[in-house]
Amino acid sequence: MEVSINSDLEKLKKQVENELKSLSTSKAADELWLKYFGKSGILKSIASQISSLSPEEKKDFGQKFNQIKSALEKKIQDCITELSQKEESPLEKFYKTLPGKKPKIGHLHITTQAIREIVEIFKPLGFTQVRYPEIDWDYYAFEALNMPSTHPARDEWETFFVDAPEHATLGKMVITPHTSSGQVREMLEGQLPIRMLNISRCGRRQSDLTHNPTFYQFEGLVIDKGINITHLKGVLDYFAKNFFGPDRTTRLRPYDFRFTEPSFEVDINCGLCKGAGCKFCKGGWLELGGAGMVHPNVLIAGKIDPQEYTGFAFGWGVERTYMMKSGTKIDDIRLLLSNDLRFLEQF
Amino acid sequence: MNILIPHSWLKDYVQTELSPQEIGDLLSLHAFSVEKILPQEDGDVVYEVEITPNRGDALSVLGMARELKAILPAKGHPIGWTLKESKQRSPLTNKLLPLNVEITNPELVPRFSAVILDDVKIQDSPRYLRDRLEKVGIRPINNVVDITNYMMIDWGQPMHAFDYDKILGAKMVVRGSVEGEKITTLDDAERILPSGVIVIEDGEGRLVDLCGIMGAKNSEVDENTKRVLLFVQVYDPVKIRKASMALGHRTEAALRFEKGIDYLGVIPSLWKAVEMLEQTAEVSLVSELIDIQNANYIQKSVSIDYDKISSIAGVPISVREIQSILTGLGFEFEAESQSKSKESIDPVEKNKVVVPSWRNNDVEILEDLAEEVIRILGYYSLPNRLPSGEIPLKPSNPIFYWENVIKDFFKFRGFFECCTASITSKDLAGADALPLKNPLNEDFAYFRKSLVPQLLEVVRSNKNYSDELRIFEIARIYSLTEENRKEGQLPEQPFMLCLVTRGVDFLEFKGDIEALLLEMGIKSFHFEIKTHKEGQETIFSCEIPLKNLVAVATKNKVYTPLVKFNSIKEDVTIKVDEKAIYEDIIATIKKLDPRIFLVKFKDIFEDRLTLSLEFLDREKQITSEDVAPIREKILKKFN
Repeated sequence: MEVSINSDLEKLKKQVENELKSLSTSKAADELWLKYFGKSGILKSIASQISSLSPEEKKDFGQKFNQIKSALEKKIQDCITELSQKEESPLEKFYKTLPGKKPKIGHLHITTQAIREIVEIFKPLGFTQVRYPEIDWDYYAFEALNMPSTHPARDEWETFFVDAPEHATLGKMVITPHTSSGQVREMLEGQLPIRMLNISRCGRRQSDLTHNPTFYQFEGLVIDKGINITHLKGVLDYFAKNFFGPDRTTRLRPYDFRFTEPSFEVDINCGLCKGAGCKFCKGGWLELGGAGMVHPNVLIAGKIDPQEYTGFAFGWGVERTYMMKSGTKIDDIRLLLSNDLRFLEQF
Repeated sequence: MNILIPHSWLKDYVQTELSPQEIGDLLSLHAFSVEKILPQEDGDVVYEVEITPNRGDALSVLGMARELKAILPAKGHPIGWTLKESKQRSPLTNKLLPLNVEITNPELVPRFSAVILDDVKIQDSPRYLRDRLEKVGIRPINNVVDITNYMMIDWGQPMHAFDYDKILGAKMVVRGSVEGEKITTLDDAERILPSGVIVIEDGEGRLVDLCGIMGAKNSEVDENTKRVLLFVQVYDPVKIRKASMALGHRTEAALRFEKGIDYLGVIPSLWKAVEMLEQTAEVSLVSELIDIQNANYIQKSVSIDYDKISSIAGVPISVREIQSILTGLGFEFEAESQSKSKESIDPVEKNKVVVPSWRNNDVEILEDLAEEVIRILGYYSLPNRLPSGEIPLKPSNPIFYWENVIKDFFKFRGFFECCTASITSKDLAGADALPLKNPLNEDFAYFRKSLVPQLLEVVRSNKNYSDELRIFEIARIYSLTEENRKEGQLPEQPFMLCLVTRGVDFLEFKGDIEALLLEMGIKSFHFEIKTHKEGQETIFSCEIPLKNLVAVATKNKVYTPLVKFNSIKEDVTIKVDEKAIYEDIIATIKKLDPRIFLVKFKDIFEDRLTLSLEFLDREKQITSEDVAPIREKILKKFN
């Protein structure tokens, strides 16, 4: 369309604005764009006539022209955007249902996740997390825990011995088979009361579906004036409810450990049958682990007066306890050491 | 250790209307864990019970019955109790047979008792006896052998029967073995003995018994035996255990001897066995009782503190209840001997408890008595309470906080956390690795000196998972240094952060680590990235001692006041050579003028390094005129 360069630019602007108002589809907006800004559009045609102006007129006109051009450009573009947002093509709609571009998130090992959960549960009770040596002396692992070297109780632990010189007083070097080796070490730090949460790696000479030769345990030790069995029950029940669920209950049964007296085995009611009995539990109960009141000989080894202070302790397997959460369905504990990324990515 | 107890056998001693299920539940809650209740063909049931190592006395039907005797009435279930005393016997003839006994070391045999029996009629045991043995997993052989096994299960007293005529010279020398001596036991196994095993040598120097473990073949009772030596002992538990472990022969007898036998139960067991033999094998007693006591059995007394028992439980327990429970378990009360003053003792406050002979090995201190009382009461009867004392003022170790920061950081950077074993093969552990004395197998024999080899293995075994692999682990490495050895110290066991990637760009990996340092507030930290070539693949690893990171990490942040002037941004390109180190270039540039605010890497092409610079003057608005000379200085320095 031929428009004279002498046309009133202001009038042109108003005309475009009016046409814009009456637009209802983005297609129409596109057509409007072409009409004014296209190769054979009106504005192009006006611009081509600038050369016919005098230098004075050119400068004047040019400035005005550019202003109006920018303003109209923006207005039409905005209109196009607004209209096209309202009416998406079916392909655009589908595009938005495509999966988002997720960043590649890695995975923490199930053992780390279990440890974190355990630490969080004990924090409100004032327990401090500690870590004691994995390779330790026989003294801390056994003798200080009321287990002299000839005692049959030592059999239970299937100890790994390190090929290294014996210590003059502390005995052989071993991989500690339990986190209880931290008990006397903690006591010898000399601070009372004690609320210790020792989470460390242990080793036992066994490897099957439910045992790895290297594994983690978490050990709680509370020593204060007037600590008794009700406190042991209270803390363990609190842990079980927080870790497994508020509807779960625990019970103690008589047992025997050299380093506790009385000693207990702690059960939790089965999450699947809720205590009725099923093929996964023993008469409605599952074993969690051992516990007991700290034996006076152990307090003495820790330089604490058993007449003034009493305490309780418990030590359970981290992986084992985690795998007992109903629903985890891990049927072979050796998977935890397999480092198969297809396993790790599930957690 | 698990034992099998038939319900029908228990009924010999304790009679109750409770069902086996109810009995099993009560035992589990008050004494021992009943693992299974096994129904038998004849309607009987057999309890499979886990007995803890301290309760050798419960490795018998009588032991279990005694527990029920204490538990059931305490829980309101009446019982009947039958325990017949066995009668002493004397030989009816004066044609007595001799036995010459010599014990070289009395410590080996705290009690040695025996009788000789003639006219033995070897035949099958009666039906009920064979049944009971089969129910507890013992194969019946003949009446004499069966009765010795029966008594082991019945009253917990292992005993042995020899063919008297096979004890050559009617002489028994009880001694410790000499290393290398041989003996063929009843199971036809020839065993070479270490020194110190308790054995019996007959009059002709033959070894006729592997004491406390198993009899010898050469003295066994068989269908031709006419005369029997019935033999009932107490052995040194430590020696029995040591021998049994060394020979790898863990018999039912050995397991009981090593836990300790009821010293006062020896002779009554002997006479009950004789009575059973009279009934089933028509024997006649042809010797006096031989009873050599090498230990001075002292009845054990423990002082009782009634208040302390309540405070251990956390609930008040009356003196009457405590006394009732302990009495039910066979403990007896006595007053402490009269003090020198004239005050008489309150009869209720009997404060010494006599331990029954069958619990002699287990009960020592007040806490042991407390356990007896509270378990019979029932742990379920105690409430749950949380400790209400002071919370310890122990500051937590920052290493745990930073470990969590590091692990989360790498998780969100796409890394998988691995968990490898502390111990591995000699190859993967590294040179001079610390070995185990008793490894599990050759893949589990040496402590690793670095996490890298095992993580490289993880990359290898996950080859097909993806082209890009990122893994990490925070775990210990181990090393027994010369100083450790000299000073008698434990090995060094520091925690390391180890990262391994495959198919990841070098600078991207480096960037992850640098970003971690930033996150930890660490301004400068030296770390090394190693390259490993596996065929076509390039694998990077980086191992950093965790302690070193934590030592310089900080949560502290310092504010630098914002400047109200604008900066000027410009790129500059300089020449670099092989020897150049980026950090040094930046340091050099920054030193040239304090208004060089930021220097960032932009690009590198051949030997030309392009940097993005930002110039800022805190005093005034910097202009392009100000920047020009600074730029010149930089270009002059490097080109």
